[in-house]
Amino acid sequence: MKSTWATSGSRSWRCDGVARRDFLKLGSLGALGLGLSDFLRLQALSNPGSVPKAKSCILIWLDGGPSHVDMFDLKPDAPSEVRSQFRAIPTTIPGLSICEHLPRTAKVMKHAALLRSLTHELGNHDTGTRFLLTGHRPTPALEYPSLGSLVAHQSGFAGAVPPYVAIPGDAVGGDSNAARAGYLPGAFSAFSVGRDPSRVDGLGLPEGVDFSRSERRRDLLRRMDEFSRRVEEGAPARNRDAFYEQAYRLLGSPEAKNAFLLNQEPAAIRERYGGGHLGAGCLLARRIVEAGARFVTVVDTGWDTHQQIFKELPDSRFPGSGKLPALDRAFASLIEDLRDRGLLETTLVVLMGEFGRTPKLNSLGGRDHWPRAGFVCLAGGGVQGGRVIGATDSHGEVPSDRPVSPPDLAFTLLSLLGVDPTKELTTPAGRPMKILSEGAVIRELL
Amino acid sequence: MRAVSGQGVLLGLLACTATFGWADAGGQVRSFRADILPILTKAGCNAGACHGAATGQGGFKLSLLGYDPEEDYARITREWAGRRIDVRRPESSLVLAKPSGQIEHEGGRKLPRQSDGYAVLRDWIALGAPLGNPEFFVRSIEVEPREIEFSNTRSNQAMKVTAVMSDLSRRDVTTLALFNSNDDGLAEVSRHGVVTARGRGLTSIMVRYGGEVAAARVSYPFSERRGGARDFPVWNEIDEHIGAELHRMGLAASPLSRPGEFLRRVYLDVTGRLPEPHETREFLSQPDSPERRRQVVDRLLRAEAFTDFWTLKFADLLLLGGKPEHAQAYHRWLRQQIATRAPLDAIVRELMTAEGRLADRGPANFATLAVDARDWSEHAARMFLGLQIGCARCHAHPSDRWTQMDYHQFAAFFARVNREGETVAVASRGEVDHPKTGKPVIPSPLGVRPDATNLVEDRRQALAGWITHADNPWFARSWANRVWKHLLGRGLVEPVDDLRPTNPPTHPALLDALARELTKSGFDLRHLIRFIASSRTYQLSARPAGNNAADGRLYSHALMKELSAPVFADVVAQVTGVPDTFEGYPEGTRAVQLISPSVPSAALDVLGRCARKRSCETGASGSAGLAQALHLINGSTINGKLRSGLVESALSMDPGVWVYSLYERALARAPEEQEAGAWVRLLRDASDRRSAAEDLVWALLNSREFGINQ
Repeated sequence: MKSTWATSGSRSWRCDGVARRDFLKLGSLGALGLGLSDFLRLQALSNPGSVPKAKSCILIWLDGGPSHVDMFDLKPDAPSEVRSQFRAIPTTIPGLSICEHLPRTAKVMKHAALLRSLTHELGNHDTGTRFLLTGHRPTPALEYPSLGSLVAHQSGFAGAVPPYVAIPGDAVGGDSNAARAGYLPGAFSAFSVGRDPSRVDGLGLPEGVDFSRSERRRDLLRRMDEFSRRVEEGAPARNRDAFYEQAYRLLGSPEAKNAFLLNQEPAAIRERYGGGHLGAGCLLARRIVEAGARFVTVVDTGWDTHQQIFKELPDSRFPGSGKLPALDRAFASLIEDLRDRGLLETTLVVLMGEFGRTPKLNSLGGRDHWPRAGFVCLAGGGVQGGRVIGATDSHGEVPSDRPVSPPDLAFTLLSLLGVDPTKELTTPAGRPMKILSEGAVIRELL
Repeated sequence: MRAVSGQGVLLGLLACTATFGWADAGGQVRSFRADILPILTKAGCNAGACHGAATGQGGFKLSLLGYDPEEDYARITREWAGRRIDVRRPESSLVLAKPSGQIEHEGGRKLPRQSDGYAVLRDWIALGAPLGNPEFFVRSIEVEPREIEFSNTRSNQAMKVTAVMSDLSRRDVTTLALFNSNDDGLAEVSRHGVVTARGRGLTSIMVRYGGEVAAARVSYPFSERRGGARDFPVWNEIDEHIGAELHRMGLAASPLSRPGEFLRRVYLDVTGRLPEPHETREFLSQPDSPERRRQVVDRLLRAEAFTDFWTLKFADLLLLGGKPEHAQAYHRWLRQQIATRAPLDAIVRELMTAEGRLADRGPANFATLAVDARDWSEHAARMFLGLQIGCARCHAHPSDRWTQMDYHQFAAFFARVNREGETVAVASRGEVDHPKTGKPVIPSPLGVRPDATNLVEDRRQALAGWITHADNPWFARSWANRVWKHLLGRGLVEPVDDLRPTNPPTHPALLDALARELTKSGFDLRHLIRFIASSRTYQLSARPAGNNAADGRLYSHALMKELSAPVFADVVAQVTGVPDTFEGYPEGTRAVQLISPSVPSAALDVLGRCARKRSCETGASGSAGLAQALHLINGSTINGKLRSGLVESALSMDPGVWVYSLYERALARAPEEQEAGAWVRLLRDASDRRSAAEDLVWALLNSREFGINQ
């Protein structure tokens, strides 16, 4: 169990030349000297009672860098070495056309806003992902908390469902710490449901153990730990306690547990979302958000298409199972499903990756990393549908209108979720830290 | 930026008004590189968030923290048809007007009009913005004081930074150096180099100027009472260093660990296993002494389990993986090195230079870590030297002295290797080109001047020789630091793969002593482990005493350590007597014996085993806290082992005896009266004794005391 109890503030090494800090001091609930109950009390005091527009967020993360010029920002008039081989089809947003392999998405676009001018300069999976998911350029000095952890931190553990859930896990950007808790205590890291969205390990009681026996065991454990006060208060012990407390809250709530059971969803709905990881993941995300989670990330890998892009995206290995069709089904189904349940107003859906891809095709028939242009598709949670914000030039290389930076995006998402990005938090090392040091709300989205 | 204290402001003003002496309107500016660029760096113009970013800002790009003076000079004076400077009306130059706020500047007012920097810059432009002598540069910097000690009566200290130039002249550059604290919670440093105490403990200040770096250590003792004899008994040299520092920092030391505590800890640390009940009994039955404890260490160093455990640790470090037949060969070779006590330098030399078929020649697999010579060199630097050089690939390292040239010259050693399919062979061609010039660079070790005449056919041989040389500044120290961290819970340098001058060790003399010990012994791993484990410091109790509860860096008490995923799985199997089964392995295989993380095991994954995709040495490999708790509570690792001989025996043994034996197995101690009383009662009162016994075992395996190494 190496280091999962310990700080999630693990160092990663990037080049922005600021002093190092001691990460072992960062990121443990223990360092704050708080037990969960203390923490919940503090949360209640600090919450100003503001009502966020979005109760929760489902972030569909296309890991690897989704190609903007082949998906949402096609340039059919560009030269052959640039333009996508996919056709552009019209959407329910007048004037907007997107990739032909996203037909269902095209139909629901009127409920969404498309941002086409996301731009930054970090072309590495690790750094780009961290920029997008934390709103900060990575530095060796400090590991910043991800959007999910920030939202979890702000809302605390009031419910039985963990506030921040990652499907299947929080490894993104080449297993960077982008989606983790950074300088916040490890308790705010995501609950990773694991590879198989239809079976979350540990939620079911073991064979021969019913609920009352499970409670007896819990009591026994408590007494045992109390007796052996030998293990004094240290960060590993406190973190462990915090996670066990969370676990028992979850286990003690049938509604919360059931949220993770995909097979409770009717077959027709599961079919609609599509049977692969992404479809199942999006459906699971909807259930978890319904049960009270505030931030759910669905990670889809495989978007780093450096070669054969026109083969890989629509159709990898077997027809119909390619990335674009799977995304189309999952995304459109999610939007429609949320709408049908009246949840879209309060659920912010975000679709993005760490950067776009080179407009000029490379020698392998693919595209390489291109952070200077990228797209973000947003819906619900206070975002006004039917809008297109920003544009790129004729080749899709740089924004020609309304460039938006990752901090702007982070600022907007946090604000919609009721987190004040200008608020100062204190790292366990005692350093006051604004949640975001730059960025502004993208007004056109609201 | 935090507000500077009043005293700091005063000192700052004094510093600003001091004459520079080396650059004034009289034309004493000797070079753009040495005199003008530092002003821009101090003002923040070329920081990573500003014009130093990869694509610059607002169409103006500078090299990050000024690592490329030639390029910067060209951009400032010639780019944009030279409109950035105006020789006839210097104050209209964009490069002055913008940062001083006279023209709108998104970056803000970085260089106020009244500042000295502004004046120097203006006068330089008026002179025609000369390049000056491009070979005049900063050779090194010196920081005073190098050791800052705070106390109740002194909580501020102004630092002084002196640059030694390439012509050996010296200049005071305090006002232009960049200062950063390595721990803001303990000490803060202002822009002007005034350090202010914020908390008790030990940290350091990083100082940078002109591409050179240095550090000053800052300490604020935990108590003022330091008189009288030192009362930290010395068992070996390690204790001398630790004791001296504890004394200096006014920290009380915890008492020695109890024998059972020591036993459990040393078994886990050295072999990744718990002592068997008879071993525990045997050890506890005799009087405790340093000698008896040393005997335990010696026995463990000879055990088979030692080899298994340390092979795993090395495999994790080396990111051992790949196709099954390759990984097997690699692992087999590695295990053999550990088993036969191969010296660490020999192991590294073989890894660096091996050739042949990957399925036959295990160490050749080291070459498959990366395809690009540069990626490979970064791995090697991290693993064998404890250095992070990656930043220097694209620009000069911002907190160490490596330039892009240094980086690429080092990477060039890895360029002549062919990795064709299943074989690794030395190639006769292959270069690393400097990204700027596009020309091949001469291979040269870090910090050494390149010498084309010394090139041998297999470059890797040369590099291996340099890395493993007794004089290499990092090789022995990085190994010593890693082993120290494993045993003590925290490296003398943290993170362990970041040994740079601006990240000094907490105990520099101790680290040197450990490195010496390792080198002297012929790089014998077991010798080093014995040396450390025989110290009194290693054997202290984890329980805080006196004022040392808050100490995590000075080893006043033992640190609690977590059990790695394979070790935890193994000790659960060991205590219950129910082995794990792994696909493709014989029954009874322990998790630490698995060759690579590609062996499927959902349990080990959720317990956080090292995936070997990147280093697992520093901090969280995954934040699976909640998932892990759920797994421990309901999942297979513990629940799958409750049906066991251990539980069955509760049905036939006297409850008191059974509880005693349970504690002995799992915790290497006898249960306290309260504990024994409660559990015996539980067993006696239970209608289903088997279930009660299962529940007890479940609780013990989930308990804090079991799961934490302390």
